Amino acid sequence: MIKGDFLNKMSIRWVVALKEEAKAILDYYKMVLVNEKTLYPIYKNVEETHWLTISGIGRHNSAASTSYLYTISHAPKWTSWINIGIAGSGKGDYGSVCLVDKIFNQNSNITYPATMPKSNLPKMSLVTTDMPILDYSSKELIDMEGSAFFDIASKLTSKEFICIMKIISDGPRDDIKQLTKLKIIQLVRSNLSKISEVVSYYENLSENENQIIAKPDIFYKISSNWHFSLTQFYQLENLIRRLDVFCVNEDIMELIKHCKNSSSVINALNSKIENSKIDWSDV
Amino acid sequence: MIETIYIEKKIKNHPRTKFILNKFKKSRLLEIDKYTEIFNKRSQNFRIQKANPNLILAHKNDGFVLPAPEGFGIGSSENFYFSHMFNCIYDCRYCFLQGMFSSANYVIFVNFEDFDISIKNVINKNINSKITFFSGYDCDSLALENVTGFAKHILPLFKQYPEVDIEFRTKSIQREPFMSIEPMKNVIMAYSLMPDLMSSSLDNKVPSISKRIKVISDLASKGWKIGLRFDPLIYGQDWKFLYENLLEKVYNSIPLESIHSVSVGPLRFPKKMFKDIFKLYPKEPLFTGPLSNSKDIISYDMKIEEEMSVFCKNLTLKYLDNSQFFRCFA
Repeated sequence: MIKGDFLNKMSIRWVVALKEEAKAILDYYKMVLVNEKTLYPIYKNVEETHWLTISGIGRHNSAASTSYLYTISHAPKWTSWINIGIAGSGKGDYGSVCLVDKIFNQNSNITYPATMPKSNLPKMSLVTTDMPILDYSSKELIDMEGSAFFDIASKLTSKEFICIMKIISDGPRDDIKQLTKLKIIQLVRSNLSKISEVVSYYENLSENENQIIAKPDIFYKISSNWHFSLTQFYQLENLIRRLDVFCVNEDIMELIKHCKNSSSVINALNSKIENSKIDWSDV
Repeated sequence: MIETIYIEKKIKNHPRTKFILNKFKKSRLLEIDKYTEIFNKRSQNFRIQKANPNLILAHKNDGFVLPAPEGFGIGSSENFYFSHMFNCIYDCRYCFLQGMFSSANYVIFVNFEDFDISIKNVINKNINSKITFFSGYDCDSLALENVTGFAKHILPLFKQYPEVDIEFRTKSIQREPFMSIEPMKNVIMAYSLMPDLMSSSLDNKVPSISKRIKVISDLASKGWKIGLRFDPLIYGQDWKFLYENLLEKVYNSIPLESIHSVSVGPLRFPKKMFKDIFKLYPKEPLFTGPLSNSKDIISYDMKIEEEMSVFCKNLTLKYLDNSQFFRCFA
């Protein structure tokens, strides 16, 4: 992708274990299969803002497909990562959707997702196991992927951009054997409005982060007109970001239009900063 | 509203933990082993956490009282600080905390009694020196007083040592416990101030300057000693006019005999810290000012620092004695 493609775009990546869990999400966000021959099925929408992979069941699949989606989709730094799926629960109500705020795996490692969206959805702890377990006692949520997804996603972005949502599908009063493909599709579909509300928080987060991280347009213009060393690139970026707050592009270009080389560009911009006085009544 | 409170298992039954939890009945409670499981982990974003911080209740194991950084003092030969809390409810754009921690969650250490022991040890070891303690270097010392009760806890200790000074530095308009008790001569209520125009842009979620001045005036009238901290000094258009207005307003609102000291301090960041903060807030107007790098410290030019300090000093000396004015560099 070239830099212009990223401008003002949010970026969401979904990792979902089962096709039935993904069905309603794919429909809602209008994602279609990218290619039949990928290692894990990959879907995306036309704008390429939402990408989704079907990981299959288990921690290994979840970890591998998260990495795979990252690579295939060229997920930028400001991507929000979402894992959604069904889960067993010894405490919650069948059919309700929950946000996960504490994750255990079978090695007793515990991780904590960070700041979450303000939401009325209940928050619960998740235990990720390698084998299905039917002893639901005292466990808030049980799945087979969450911890692995979180471990990998937190290597790709900061924790604030990672979300695990679970829909309670079985428990002491709701036999897992009664769970059918159709029921799974319906469980997700019936929670779509709540899910999309949470996702919109992550869409905004991603879009805002993009706008903060993105280099000002004029940076690309200047860096293509003169030859800058690596150190000068950093200096230029820093100066342009600062000048961009109080100067319009035309004024910046005017400052440097007679510069013969990169050093004189840096000096001219530096001099502008050194002589600047913020007008606090205008901030 | 604090959505989630993480509680170290070790202090889950501590009376102070229960006292604090009682104030947040709707929060979700999660038990943890160590606050470091949550706080200051890698892959955290301070800016995003700051929008909706959670609370961590923890036990502090060591480092209760530390020597204050060089250049941080108001006349004593020995200066120490302690922080019962990490992070602050305010969001000031020049604050070093945003570059020091990767996490914006609040950590409250509930074992105040261990602070007491360390403070007494330090006093006993420095019995022949003039000592000042600074409360709340890693937080605002009073902003969460109604939750923690730390000042209320620590004041009786300092009553036993009238020759030892303690400074509570704050931007809050917290009046209690100070309005309810007799003033203590060794307690300095120190307020960070800057011109209103700058404060309204830089001091996010902080009470306005006029509200702070009102509280200063009330506490001074009650008999508490006041410290005025023009720190950091912020540069910009009409800075002389803005600082002159502020200083005149303050000196004409407070009984001058209540003023213990006035200090000014420059805007300075270690290079690495500045880089981190700039990454978080690249569109912040403060960073568009004439800041430059000298010996890995990002600051205004020395000439600017000097001019601003001298200007504030000269104005102050119209009202106060030279011995009450300090320049801080930490």
